[in-house]
Amino acid sequence: MAIFGVLRSGLYSLASVGLALSVGVIGVVNFAHGEFLMLGAYLGYWLFASYGIDPLAAIPIGAVALFLLGGAVHRLGIQRVLRSPELNQMLLTFGISIFLQNLAIILWGGDPRTAAVGYKAQSVALGPFTVGFPQLVVFAVAMTLTLSLYAILGGSRIGKAMRAVAQNRVGASLIGIEVDRIYLLTFGLSTALAGMAGLMIALQLSTSPFIGLLYTLKAFAIIVMAGLGNITGVIYASLVLGLSEAFVEFYVPQGGGWAEGVFFVLILVVLLVRPRGLFR
Amino acid sequence: MAGAALLAAAAALPFWLNRTQPYFLQLALNVLIVAVLALSWDLLARTGQLSLAHAAFFGLGAYTSALLTTRAGVPVVAGIVLGGLMATAVAAALGVLTLRLRGIYFAIATLAFSETLRVITKQLRFTGGSAGLVTPPLLPANLPAQYLVILGILLLAALTSELVNRSRWHFAFTAIRTNEEVAAVMGIDVVRFKVLAFAISAFFAGLTGAFYAHVFLFINPFEAYSLAISVGALVAPIFGGLYTTIGPLLGAVALRIGEETLRAALGSGFLIIYGLILAAVILYMPRGLLGLWTAAAARRHAGERGVTAPVSGNGQA
Repeated sequence: MAIFGVLRSGLYSLASVGLALSVGVIGVVNFAHGEFLMLGAYLGYWLFASYGIDPLAAIPIGAVALFLLGGAVHRLGIQRVLRSPELNQMLLTFGISIFLQNLAIILWGGDPRTAAVGYKAQSVALGPFTVGFPQLVVFAVAMTLTLSLYAILGGSRIGKAMRAVAQNRVGASLIGIEVDRIYLLTFGLSTALAGMAGLMIALQLSTSPFIGLLYTLKAFAIIVMAGLGNITGVIYASLVLGLSEAFVEFYVPQGGGWAEGVFFVLILVVLLVRPRGLFR
Repeated sequence: MAGAALLAAAAALPFWLNRTQPYFLQLALNVLIVAVLALSWDLLARTGQLSLAHAAFFGLGAYTSALLTTRAGVPVVAGIVLGGLMATAVAAALGVLTLRLRGIYFAIATLAFSETLRVITKQLRFTGGSAGLVTPPLLPANLPAQYLVILGILLLAALTSELVNRSRWHFAFTAIRTNEEVAAVMGIDVVRFKVLAFAISAFFAGLTGAFYAHVFLFINPFEAYSLAISVGALVAPIFGGLYTTIGPLLGAVALRIGEETLRAALGSGFLIIYGLILAAVILYMPRGLLGLWTAAAARRHAGERGVTAPVSGNGQA
């Protein structure tokens, strides 16, 4: 049971770390985060179905495409409400979320689609356990990407600039950091991460226009557990969510259905007990 | 004056429409449902709190009344009232837990709460699971009477809204929305007012949901807790004009009638228009339709006197 929870948490980390980044650096809670992930999943599906490109090989394409899309959305929308009341920011991203979800319904219909890669049904023995090969690959890729983000934030000039802006917008601009450019890059990076998570979903699971909201909510549960804006806590928080869901699925009767509600219980418990997050 | 005339026209509508065009009376009833939801959503928004899941309380009211009437033999009218009260009680509890925190947490909690109610309703057997429930009718086969009931509910909501806007509560709500810290320093019990607004708002949503259950005679978790209901409840006031009584009503009429034509063309993807309107209004006309009207009136007024009108409002949507 634990091993399934751990494997699942890899994907959760990648799906939510972008949201943590935009909350932490820009201060914008993006309700459309899951929809960018959904678009990434469709991109993965179409690249595979039309050109036979494996979602793993499509990672650079997905990252660039979703980076550009996110940048455009930031320029046309998000940037204009950065100084508006929080209510306006949330409503704008919620509007974008509804728009993208229904655009997908209109363009591609509501049916789930699966990229049937050759190794989809293969499994590997991992000690005494047998796990699906796609799950293992997705876990490895997702963890690699998440940890690379940590490395970028920790070491590179751009990462340091992002952290500086996160700490103090005015201070950062005083020492010559172009805050608006950092915001643009951060939002693009955040949607690119969502897009890559989407590709992994196309590889391991299936995609439909409705998966966006679910991943937005799970990502919220994770960033609330980590503490809003805490990026490094995301991995631990993802583990908590992944393990709790796996636990409910295994030990509760009809657990598959109940597991869909675990994220809410976690949000509520954290808000009750420790609203600033478990991991800070 | 204008309000009384409008009310008289709305009350006369069923007697005029029913004989010739029952379809339009049904549409008018649907408009009123959205109008109550929009107005009650706006009541909460006046304290600066964003509920992304008004459908949670709509569905809660619908299921409470449906279960009480089918499983416990409660009369339909009592069931509807109890549906509203159930929504109120749950909102108060959720509010006490989440309204102490920043607005973001509240918005997230409402959205997650709605999804979770759907999961619970789907999983439990006594709620009818994903198959749903068949409910006993309110005023069977009498569409004009049903219409008048929801008109009455809307009137009650409108009166509540006007009372709030003309009492001291108005200043408390506005102060909280503008700056919570300052409001608290001025001696306003911020959390109490926010919970109060949330509870009143949920009461009307629950009442409407229960009404819906006994007029459409069937509910399931996907429709009762649907995103479309939550989205309609928040886009209508934003489109019409926030923090007023007339704005949400205006928005509800315009959007629900527009939706009727779009549904035919776009199927279930019609919500795309709501997303577009939401984004466009936030970016370009934060005071909604009502704002356009007052701005135009101000220009006309200024034109008569030969001075330039000040641009009103600063995007406090």
